[in-house]
Amino acid sequence: MVSPAVIVVIVFLIIPSIQSLYLSFFRVSPFGNRKIFVAFSNFLDLLNPNYLNSFIVTLIFTLAVVLIGLSVCLALALAANQKISGIGIYRTALIWPYALSPAVAGTIWALVFDPSTGAFSYFISLLSGTMPNWRTNGDFAVLVITLAATWKMTGYNVIFFLSALQTIPLDLQEAGRIDGAGPWGRFWKITFPLLSPMTLFLLIMNTLYGFFEVFGLIDVMTEGGPARATEVLVYKLYYDGFISLKTGYASAQSIVLFAFVAGMTLLQFKFAKRWVFYQ
Amino acid sequence: MKKNHFISICMVLLMAVVLVGLSATTSHAVIKISFWHAMSAKRMPAVNRIVDGFNSQNPDIKVEAQFSGKYKEVLGKAIAAARAGHPPDIVQVYEVGTQTMLDSGAIVPVFQIVKPGQIDWGDIITPIKDYYSVKGKLYSMPFNSSTSILYYNKDLFEKAGLDPNKPPTTFAEMARIGEQIVKSGAAPNALSFGWPDWQFEQMFTMHAQYYANYENGRYGRATKVNGNKAFGVKVVSAWTDWAKKGIFVYGGPEYSANKAFLAQKIAMLYQSTSSVASITKAAQFRVGTTFLPRLQGYPRGNNVIGGATLWVMKGHSQEKYDAIAKFFKYLARPEVAAQWHKDTGYFPSTNSAVKLLLDEGWFAQHPNHITAFLEILTGAKVPQSQGVRLGPFVAIRQAFKTALEKSVEGKLSPQAAMNEYATQANKLLKEYNQVFK
Repeated sequence: MVSPAVIVVIVFLIIPSIQSLYLSFFRVSPFGNRKIFVAFSNFLDLLNPNYLNSFIVTLIFTLAVVLIGLSVCLALALAANQKISGIGIYRTALIWPYALSPAVAGTIWALVFDPSTGAFSYFISLLSGTMPNWRTNGDFAVLVITLAATWKMTGYNVIFFLSALQTIPLDLQEAGRIDGAGPWGRFWKITFPLLSPMTLFLLIMNTLYGFFEVFGLIDVMTEGGPARATEVLVYKLYYDGFISLKTGYASAQSIVLFAFVAGMTLLQFKFAKRWVFYQ
Repeated sequence: MKKNHFISICMVLLMAVVLVGLSATTSHAVIKISFWHAMSAKRMPAVNRIVDGFNSQNPDIKVEAQFSGKYKEVLGKAIAAARAGHPPDIVQVYEVGTQTMLDSGAIVPVFQIVKPGQIDWGDIITPIKDYYSVKGKLYSMPFNSSTSILYYNKDLFEKAGLDPNKPPTTFAEMARIGEQIVKSGAAPNALSFGWPDWQFEQMFTMHAQYYANYENGRYGRATKVNGNKAFGVKVVSAWTDWAKKGIFVYGGPEYSANKAFLAQKIAMLYQSTSSVASITKAAQFRVGTTFLPRLQGYPRGNNVIGGATLWVMKGHSQEKYDAIAKFFKYLARPEVAAQWHKDTGYFPSTNSAVKLLLDEGWFAQHPNHITAFLEILTGAKVPQSQGVRLGPFVAIRQAFKTALEKSVEGKLSPQAAMNEYATQANKLLKEYNQVFK
């Protein structure tokens, strides 16, 4: 019964990866009718400022999405874990954003933050007197994309945190209370450690999200601009490969991206042993 | 029980009818032509109208129009399909992809598909024909050609105390009028651009300047762009200066600045004539259109053609190519081309369609529809304005757009931004040319 899975992995993962590796040593014409061997020149090209900029943008962006996303969603999950009337409605509302496709979410955010006609831009201009324009202001563009991406992931994170919260035995909480621990102490000493396997899982999923899945939002909203301020690695790869039609260069990028993300996930697992508590 | 029998008999009969119907259509051997295009929003029903009209007149041919994303996505998909061995029959490629298609080895030039005399090539509007011809032979079928014009809001002009019939004709006037619009409070900013990268190209061709060496890459493969030399820097400096004064606001790629114009947040817009139908329809104010303002002291060139043409892909049967030729002949018919123009604002690609529109009184009723024609037909015919042909043009445009964004944002001086752009563009050209040596 192993063979079908192995075949799928070979056809959809191993073979394309080998092809990418092979192509990364060539410079290929757009239609692939011509190619010349360039050895490591595609990889050396990655040392240019545009690629390094993309690297830094990705790191900052992913870090922000993971930190803001996980902390806010944990707080929301704690709130949604309480027994109050109408909790079903609150929970549904929290999970909602995850049901939207990235393209739709991107369109909504682009409309709300549109520099000339967006509702949010209008309120900011009332408060501050200036209209923030993410088409020219790179920092503001990063902020808007980060907010949109975090918001988009809220439902996913809340569902998983909520399910983990509901597996925490009530008698542990009770014991804590009897021993005189306040709500703050109970959270850090009981709830948080028991949540740690789920936190690790979400940490990895959100990191992967920040690296790869944010593509749709960026494509719809900023196309990597202004002045490459939101050009994360995966968007740059897409743009160089499928829009600028530099297949060899994009292949080299995909190899580096693959190695980097694999390495980072391994590191997360390694460090996780120190703080993740499995029951 | 009886009832059930009756129903099942009915079902069998129904299925038989359907099957007979199906076999009747398939036995006819309809030639299917796939046509991938990038015509979104109001342009999509206009394409379908043409295709439906053709299909109903030619029952043995079925052109299947398929919207496949933005221009750059359509090209990417067509390339992926061609590399996988299943290219579409017809693909709409924007003008910056021209050299890519010529180099692809995956196309059949249109002059080989259309039989001599089948379409009167002399009827195609000259600047369009010139753009897509190599050594006098047409390589792709003109379909949606456009050029850039200045749209302006006559109501806001009046509000700012300006004459609504005197839009700016020079850079200096643009600065003066723009300043008055902003200072009077008529609008927060005065001007924005659609397709900012294309507007930069317009500036070169309008003032008879070469955008790249080897006559814009039409004489031989270009190796250098001229954007970082005096003329290009002068243009970007002017735009940056306008941005600093709040006259110009950068509006993002393609059609995203239209929204600000329609919301009256700006009073002027450089945009493709293909927006003329949608803007005049949606605007809650009087829309004026005119030629793009010029820099004084430079020779007169012409605006450059934009938009896209239809390319025929290699590897299909002669039967299909004959059907495609018929479809192209249909596209060139005056009434079809004229309707396309009315629906969108793109040029009808033939002179006879222009005459038809003129005779109908269309231009008299829709004066904004004629601006682009007058602009393109009153320019000087010089080699500089025949259109730029660069292999990695899409990537070069991105490099320019990034540099412009840095300049208007004040992150780099215009000269430094243009140097950065030229360095990247020249590297792209060098790498591309090495592959095609």
